[in-house]
Amino acid sequence: MSLVKGTFKALYAAIRQLPKKRMTMRYPFVQTQLPGYYVYDPKLGVARPGYKGRHILWLDKCTGCQLCSIACENISQAIEMVKVNRAQPNNKKSIFPQVDYAKCVFCGFCVDACPFYALGMTEDFNLVATSKKDLVYSPEKLAIPPKVVRPKVELKIEKDVAFHD
Amino acid sequence: MSLPVGASGLSTQQVEDKLVVSIGPQHPGAGHFRFTITVDGDTIVDVLPDPGYVHRGAEKQTEYRNYIQSIPLLERSSLTDVTNIIGPFSLAAEELMGIQAPPRAQYLRMIMSENQRIISHLYWLGIQGIFLGHSTMFMWPLGDRDIFIDLGQMIGGARITYSYWIPGGVRNDMPEVFKERALKVFDYFEKRLQDYERIFFANPLFLKRAQGVGILKRQEAIALGAVGPVLRASDVKSDTRIDEPYCFYKDIDFEVPSFKDCDTYARCMVHLVEMRQSMRIIRQCLDKIPEGPVKVKLSPQQRTLPGESYARVEAARGAMAFHIISDGSTKPYRVKISVPSFRNLIVLKKLLIGSHVADMPAIYWSLDYWPVEADR
Repeated sequence: MSLVKGTFKALYAAIRQLPKKRMTMRYPFVQTQLPGYYVYDPKLGVARPGYKGRHILWLDKCTGCQLCSIACENISQAIEMVKVNRAQPNNKKSIFPQVDYAKCVFCGFCVDACPFYALGMTEDFNLVATSKKDLVYSPEKLAIPPKVVRPKVELKIEKDVAFHD
Repeated sequence: MSLPVGASGLSTQQVEDKLVVSIGPQHPGAGHFRFTITVDGDTIVDVLPDPGYVHRGAEKQTEYRNYIQSIPLLERSSLTDVTNIIGPFSLAAEELMGIQAPPRAQYLRMIMSENQRIISHLYWLGIQGIFLGHSTMFMWPLGDRDIFIDLGQMIGGARITYSYWIPGGVRNDMPEVFKERALKVFDYFEKRLQDYERIFFANPLFLKRAQGVGILKRQEAIALGAVGPVLRASDVKSDTRIDEPYCFYKDIDFEVPSFKDCDTYARCMVHLVEMRQSMRIIRQCLDKIPEGPVKVKLSPQQRTLPGESYARVEAARGAMAFHIISDGSTKPYRVKISVPSFRNLIVLKKLLIGSHVADMPAIYWSLDYWPVEADR
């Protein structure tokens, strides 16, 4: 192919993209649509597909068995069992996991280790904090489901264009 | 600074006129890697690669963790290619545990593995584009890479480090919407690849920079032990998926590209063809995938049988292999990782000597060298 013809072909391929819709998502104003919670079914032995973001702890199901903390032991040591002032018959010691998100790698093996359906992972990825202390989530804080803070958009794919609205 | 000056056909009298240039480790393209080149005018006469800046002792650290706990650690070595680095580890561990993953899990592994290959190749393509001064070719592949990351996220639950392959199968089944979405993405991406060809692969400016640059002949590639796309670009049809089929690759119909040019252009084209073939493999996998369980239930502290095992898969950069020695406890006794990046590093020395300084980025990145993976 000659230099001129090839250069014009390449330019034309770029110019053809000009009228197409923009792929970039305007993040602080909108955010991407993510699949639901990542939860593990200990009876079946498999997890349900979902997004592995910030944890959610169902306090009433937690027995304080520390299996999540043991699973994390050689991965990132992010989970620590702490005492919570809460009377619960199935949790005599009243200890619950506390997650340090400065250390967590979001692998989700703690969720896979829980035999009591007490731990899951939510689609909340926005964990920005101004200090390391704020990244330590206490059991009570983990029990709160994430709030919807901004509208969600989905990446649409048509014939030869992918775009965010 | 005294550096050995390699034999390049130049007379030794010119030694005093030569200039020693250090490239990296802060160089944006080189990543955590440094190489020292000796230049005579515009010609490179000697190269001294200096890997090891990001050595984290992944092999040693694996000895202190059980098989599941090693997975998030090993993934960090090769962030663009996570599925394929834990793949051989899981296969080798399964061999030691005396188990085999169910068929559905093996198909899911293939789907994730090929999706990861596309992600890795698109990342490579973006950087190759910007290295050659083509910023459009940086934006497009990295934008389209996100679509494939979203596909991986649908199954794996994370954008990059999904820890999806585990000894005994995979962690979760794929969602029902995956097939529909994946087919839509592939239809889109096949059209997109035609655009890539028009703007980059058939662009005369790219051809001038790539054709006839950094020639690695067939015999040299075999002698130096190159793997993956580098070897295939040197006219050797070698692919672990064909030579030693793992999972269900023997049931899948796909082509292994090889090019007779043996230059940088051929190494770029191998990546382009492989992306098409990966989509073809996933399409077939989605049709053939059987119903059934996806995991063999194992104890978190699963013990293995004492012995040795070896497993190899075709990662995005070439053959990735794990050799595990076990003494029968919950932790491996010794883990040896053979990574493709490190095996292709020696080729860099061969290719750069005698070439121009301006060709260096094109040659360097065409090898798809990933320092973190090589140093492990």
